[in-house]
Amino acid sequence: MLGLIKKDFLMIKGNLKVWLILLFIYIFMAFQGEMNLTFLLPFMCVVTMLSTFSYDSFNKWDAYAITLPDGRKNSVKAKYISTLLLVFVTIVIISILTIAIGYNRSKTINFRDIGETIFGAVFATTLLQSIMYPVIYKYGVDKARIVIFTGAFGLAIIGSLLSKYVKVEYLIQKLTFLNDYMAIILPIIIVIMIYVSYKISSIIYKKKEY
Amino acid sequence: MENILEVKNLSKKYKDFELKNVGFKLPKGMIMGFIGENGAGKTTTIKSILNIIGNYKGEIKIFNFDNKKDENMIKEDIGVVLDDIFFPEILLPRDINTIMKDIYKNWDSDLYFKYLTDFNLPKNKQIKTFSKGMRKKLEIATALAHHPKLLILDEPTSGLDPIARNEVIDIFQDFIQNDECSILLSSHITTDLEHIADYITFINNGEIILSKTRDELIEKYGIAKCTESEFKKVDPKDFVKYKKTKYEYELLVENKKDFNKKYNIDTIDKITLEDLMVLMVKGEK
Repeated sequence: MLGLIKKDFLMIKGNLKVWLILLFIYIFMAFQGEMNLTFLLPFMCVVTMLSTFSYDSFNKWDAYAITLPDGRKNSVKAKYISTLLLVFVTIVIISILTIAIGYNRSKTINFRDIGETIFGAVFATTLLQSIMYPVIYKYGVDKARIVIFTGAFGLAIIGSLLSKYVKVEYLIQKLTFLNDYMAIILPIIIVIMIYVSYKISSIIYKKKEY
Repeated sequence: MENILEVKNLSKKYKDFELKNVGFKLPKGMIMGFIGENGAGKTTTIKSILNIIGNYKGEIKIFNFDNKKDENMIKEDIGVVLDDIFFPEILLPRDINTIMKDIYKNWDSDLYFKYLTDFNLPKNKQIKTFSKGMRKKLEIATALAHHPKLLILDEPTSGLDPIARNEVIDIFQDFIQNDECSILLSSHITTDLEHIADYITFINNGEIILSKTRDELIEKYGIAKCTESEFKKVDPKDFVKYKKTKYEYELLVENKKDFNKKYNIDTIDKITLEDLMVLMVKGEK
């Protein structure tokens, strides 16, 4: 499986210049107070991983991967691990930057803020990954974009309709007590999301014919 | 003779196509040419052997092991070249070595780089900059670099110029020299197969219509050429297919000598694989 993980990182390395240029633009804007890094960098991770799916799809890599020893078993696992490793690297970058930006502004380090930033970023990325990957494995990367866009649009409509009948502010007030437990609840949700998503993707991949 | 690959009653149904009881045996130390027109079922058969597609009926044994139950062990000893299926083209040949040495237990980096040098392939250029021929050579180098015992090759010489094709064919011939290794080679370039294949298996419309040694085909099969009046006297049982040309009838016969003895038709040409394919597919009965 190590070889398959290396493959994803070598592909990312192939696009490293673009990735670094974007990173420097975001960092510059964040220091100017024009950009919040919390969600942007993790989203960049997912976008980067999506480009690896596109390259895989273009050269029908999945069919080739199945011809390799343990290829069918490890391909999906490797993709999830590669993404998590990339998220980890990004989180390290965000943590350093958040500390630097915070210190630059107020000459103090607020660890609670940093913690919230990191949790928010990890949650956003893994949520996106958990939803997108099974859809990509099912429909392929091109169709998946349409499916996800349609799904998000549908959810937005349902949400706006529901908001007419449900008092959202009242609900949020009722749930504020959860804030104190977020440090425990969020990691559990993240692990469950990734596990369920991985299992669904594996089942799809196992049955899929390339 | 021990078989390295055995396919028995392989069947697979699609909406518009069906593999029907495909079966053949590839002995150790041999090269089998797998021929048929586009859409005949060659790639579906190869993908079934490699488990790229599932839900098929039948039995496939490689090195005497079941290709599903013992899949991972078997795949350590198989090298593949598949039509248009390979590593993402953003990678470099050097990257393939980095990846494959963690995938195959027997990956031989020295051998891989030797093939790259022999094929004049750059190590540090993205695959997307390669010509079709260079890409094919890279696929072949990758397929050979873990010392496989069985090579499964789908159109491995397509896109190669005659010199490169010769080089590759020499490599395939060297590969089977130790009598332990075999090659299943699907190709449209039938002249290549005439040079190297020991067996020819012909698939048409999802069915195997012929699987014989090359020598048997070349020595026994032939194309009898006759006039219309001669043709009318021939028992349809004595030819496989026929084709009417502008001036004569061409009959594909299974046994040149017997046919000549029975009908006294002297013009019986040696058969080429291309003739065989054309007559089998386009000929009438």
